[in-house]
Amino acid sequence: MSGPWVEKYRPQSLDDIVGQEHIINRLKKYVGEESMPNLMFTGPAGVGKTTTALALVKSILGEYWRQNFLELNASDARGIDTVRNDIKNFCRLKPVGAPFRIIFLDEVDNMTKDAQHALRREMEMYTKTASFILSCNYSSKIIDPIQSRCAIFRFAPIKGEEVEERLKFICGEENFDYDDKGIETIVYYAEGDMRKAVNILQATASEGEHITEDSVYEVVSKSKPQDVSDMITKALTGDFMGSRKLLHETMVLQGTSGEDMVSQIYQEVSRRVIDGKMDPDFYIDIIEAIANCDFRIREGSNPRIQLEALLTKFL
Amino acid sequence: MLWTDKYRPKTLKEILGNNKEKKIIESWVENWKNGNPQQPLLLVGPPGIGKTTFAQAIAGEFSEYIELNASDKRSQDVIKSTIGESSSSKSLFGDEYKLIIMDEVDGIHGTNDRGGVRAIGEIIKTSKHPLILIANDFYSKRLQSIKPKCQVIKMGKIRGPTINKMLKNIAQKEGIEYDKEALKLLSKKANGDIRSAINTFQAIADTSHELTMEDVETVTTKDDRSTIIDGVMATLKSKNPKHVKDALRVDEEPTLVMEYIAENVAREYTNKNELKKAYESLSNADLYFGRARNTRNYGYWKYATDFMGIGVSSAKKETYKKFTPIKSPTVFTLMGRNRGKRNLRDGIAEKMSEKMHISNSVAISMFPYFEIMFQNDELAWEISDFLDLEKDEIKRFRKKVIPKKVINKMEKQKEEMRIEERDRRAKELQEQMLAGIPQEEIAEEEPVRDEVELISEEPIPDEVEPEIEDPETEEELMAEEIIEEEVEEKPKEKKNKQTSLFDF
Repeated sequence: MSGPWVEKYRPQSLDDIVGQEHIINRLKKYVGEESMPNLMFTGPAGVGKTTTALALVKSILGEYWRQNFLELNASDARGIDTVRNDIKNFCRLKPVGAPFRIIFLDEVDNMTKDAQHALRREMEMYTKTASFILSCNYSSKIIDPIQSRCAIFRFAPIKGEEVEERLKFICGEENFDYDDKGIETIVYYAEGDMRKAVNILQATASEGEHITEDSVYEVVSKSKPQDVSDMITKALTGDFMGSRKLLHETMVLQGTSGEDMVSQIYQEVSRRVIDGKMDPDFYIDIIEAIANCDFRIREGSNPRIQLEALLTKFL
Repeated sequence: MLWTDKYRPKTLKEILGNNKEKKIIESWVENWKNGNPQQPLLLVGPPGIGKTTFAQAIAGEFSEYIELNASDKRSQDVIKSTIGESSSSKSLFGDEYKLIIMDEVDGIHGTNDRGGVRAIGEIIKTSKHPLILIANDFYSKRLQSIKPKCQVIKMGKIRGPTINKMLKNIAQKEGIEYDKEALKLLSKKANGDIRSAINTFQAIADTSHELTMEDVETVTTKDDRSTIIDGVMATLKSKNPKHVKDALRVDEEPTLVMEYIAENVAREYTNKNELKKAYESLSNADLYFGRARNTRNYGYWKYATDFMGIGVSSAKKETYKKFTPIKSPTVFTLMGRNRGKRNLRDGIAEKMSEKMHISNSVAISMFPYFEIMFQNDELAWEISDFLDLEKDEIKRFRKKVIPKKVINKMEKQKEEMRIEERDRRAKELQEQMLAGIPQEEIAEEEPVRDEVELISEEPIPDEVEPEIEDPETEEELMAEEIIEEEVEEKPKEKKNKQTSLFDF
């Protein structure tokens, strides 16, 4: 009775966090010492960066953590000026009932370099009163001066058995039936991403069936936009304009990011080669193009152009 | 006085150049005069070639005319109230026509002039009066709906010799001594823009009354940068690197030019391998635009520009012998048309990001799962309740409304849970308080006490609220803190109250 399970079952304390033991152990030392350096959590989506940050904040700041904690989404539409103002206003006040204040900035790698430089100055300015926790997917996209001011923690994808255990725990709490094969299927599709695993689990559960291999597979294929498959088919048959139109629609209407697009295209073609629907030689050429596109999306300025270029490779 | 005004031709006959267009216009005017209503005229062409002059010369043929300029705020209301009435009702006195001139129609701007384009469309439809529209960019999006309803007259740049003739004429009247070659060069440098030629001429010779070769060479005429359309056209149609490079010196954001090239190259290059090659270049261009932005080293732009220009241009073996009109990127239209949907999507993502500690993009990536979960009535209600979703936001995930029965049931359940939780908390609190009393009696100055006081002072329901990490409650809690500080200052008074409460 509390909406999305990803939030309901978010671990609240450092002890509850699944996986990442050595990181958690190190962080617990900070709690004991009641002080911490600036931290940077890097790693793929759904491995517990935000959860760890929140749990750490609660235990290190104690009872009044809310008043001494500021959570900001660096990547969203808000300009750097808003972010800076928020940080400034927050840091101006002294910590109340806690040793210091903490600012958590999510997805810092999506900030422009200019914004990162501005952030660096903020970090320097308030070292006495506040600590920063930055989180990002790729630490390579963070400017060196920020990296050198942080203790960097690299989060690995969560191990299969750990995801499995957690899913079974949730099923127990919710009184939900499952068979092992069903859970294994979720673990397989989640690829170490706990958020994805829990979302698949709840979506499957919402259909009112047991968690079985079939019911999981149905949810997974339903949650995958059909557009990507159509887009590739169109490109393969030489209809570039049609294919490109689908790409634009998926990106504009669904709001799918360039990086998600690449990974969906990758999943689609690898499914095709496994099902024997694509020639392995051609597949390997395409993989090279996809890998190249993946890399260029991170480096380039407009993901759409890179994806359009990728589509021409299917022609 | 500006020479451009002083020497502006007053009648159609006086106008130099554009002879073919002049004929069409003359017959258009003739037809109106004979009581034959005609389609509106749309004059399109680059600046300074005499579009406005044409319109004003035509105006001379009618008894009355109204002129609207781009600098006017063109909201629907303004257009309607200024010319809406006069356009649909004829003058009381006989069959005199009023000419309506609208300058810089393509300058109507999206948000400021909401509905401006539509209003023009309406005026075109209902007007009983002659109407002339003037625009610069033939391919402008804003003209798309207007073009089919008009007689379009595309006007080109004025040829050098024609400009030269005009300048000579002015020189004579102003009594200016001029070097023939200098005048020729000036005419050529104007690049078809007669207004800029006259303005430059006046700037040099108005006071000195002479024009030398040196003058012309030192005076820089209007920056002759081409338009985005010229740039794209050259890239797609030409194989001459110099031509392409020149045409791409446009006054636009280079990444926008790249979007235009990408949009149109797929229409032009029908050969697959050429298209692939072109896109390889575009991909490189994008890479270097990205690197320029990331490293703030804008020197990379020159490579990017060469990739998207010469790279794309040389991807074709031969120039295609067909005419494909240059289109503005369809993805922009797509974005514009779906603004409502996107706002709805972003609104939901915003709510999720607040409640669930995720960024908007992660929130959006969860939508497909929500679509499945929302098919379950109860879960749909739970999530909507959790996120405070509005009706239309719920509709984003499920077509049917959540049945009343389910809503009532869930609301009842929630209320029950709330009461249960409250009772539990109250009990807990009571136990805490009971445990707190002896301590308080023993050590009066113990700081722990303040906290206990605070809790018992609070009205119970506030404390009972489930602890959602809601930034809004932060402020409330801050307020509590302040109260706490006040409490600290006068502990004695409070304490008396406290004990009486306990006695009770």
